Amino acid sequence: MNPIVLEGLTVRYGDRVALDSVSLTVAEGAVYALLGRNGAGKSSLVRCLLGEQKPDAGRVSLLGKDVWRERAALLREVGVVPEEPDMPPAMTLRQIARFCSRLYPSWDGAGVEARLKRFGVPADTPFGRLSKGQKAQVSMALALAGSPRLLVLDDPTLGLDAVARKAVFEELIGELADRGTTVFITSHDLAGVERIADRVAVLRQGKLVLDEEMETLKHRFRRLSFPVALTPGEREPRLEALAPVAVAARGWGIEAVVANYDEDRLEGPGKGGPEVSALTLEEIFIALTGESEEGR
Amino acid sequence: MPTALRIDPRDARPIWRQIEEGVQHLVARGALPAGTLVPSVRDLARDLQINPATVSKAYQRLTDAGVLAVRRGEGTFVAETPPPASDSRRNGRLREEAVRYASLAATLGASREEALSTFEAAWQSLTDGNGRAEGDDE
Repeated sequence: MNPIVLEGLTVRYGDRVALDSVSLTVAEGAVYALLGRNGAGKSSLVRCLLGEQKPDAGRVSLLGKDVWRERAALLREVGVVPEEPDMPPAMTLRQIARFCSRLYPSWDGAGVEARLKRFGVPADTPFGRLSKGQKAQVSMALALAGSPRLLVLDDPTLGLDAVARKAVFEELIGELADRGTTVFITSHDLAGVERIADRVAVLRQGKLVLDEEMETLKHRFRRLSFPVALTPGEREPRLEALAPVAVAARGWGIEAVVANYDEDRLEGPGKGGPEVSALTLEEIFIALTGESEEGR
Repeated sequence: MPTALRIDPRDARPIWRQIEEGVQHLVARGALPAGTLVPSVRDLARDLQINPATVSKAYQRLTDAGVLAVRRGEGTFVAETPPPASDSRRNGRLREEAVRYASLAATLGASREEALSTFEAAWQSLTDGNGRAEGDDE
């Protein structure tokens, strides 16, 4: 059973279409990353996914059930790390943990204490006194304590420094190693996502423009640098077959990002061989989403 | 071992392949002697900040290839007689890196002779140091 199935998810705010018939599937045990610039529709998608918002059209199946109808029961099996963890500021972490423990059938109280200790956050601290990094860490500890079948992380490392970010990722890695939990994560930390996710999707202006295994994605994208000057309107013939997604004229020649790199198709006549380099996920993301400002 | 394994996001190879070839490389040049205990999947994943499934895949392939051996309850070790890296992949990698070096040398305006003598010197320093710089500092 696939833990997440979205079918034709559509959300409108007045005239603006925030999500335009988005369908995607997250397989059991996958680490699925949803990327998109601000305003691309990520937050609307996450709210619909968790049953916090009713889509104008489409369906969300969470752990095989309709999230809108069975939200309360479903959320016992889903760990959520929200973008901005919000809990009563005067409650201590121990009080919050005790409160949460009654909502979950299998609550690992010792696990919460152990994680807080690892993070160096005392359990008798009121939530409102925590730093942003500590709030994210506490939120992670609570999300994992319910022994979830699915973890939903909404930009968990946004605004965190390198140390806090590493701590959050280490807990995630530990959870993956121990339980193989399915993970759905949105993030601006593309370098981090690149190392963790096995599947990547990109939202752009409410539409899913990419949904692919990380490995095949990295395999097909390349940057090519042709040391040739082209006259306006002229095209580099070897580029066209490789599906260029971004082409820029530089002083020394042209630089292109291609989506279907194939070494064999680069042979043949041309004005000097291109230099080929692999791209990081961040560079692929920019090539796919950066060329025009998104409507907000 | 963790200090010697690096993941490069600009490398065209998938991460599991980088680990697989990285371990093969460390074993081949003696930095990881036969019988060495390698880090657990969990520890290496935390160390490199990557998905444990990726480490698992690399370890599985290394075990299948006879480079690593699993001793139940004890952990994963470098095999007593690890096989050399497979010929076709080895040749491909050699050629790829040689092209990279040659083009860098040409870009910097080095002559063929200068490039070759620089390579000779680098090779020499490698065999003199026996990889101590990277591999044995645990």
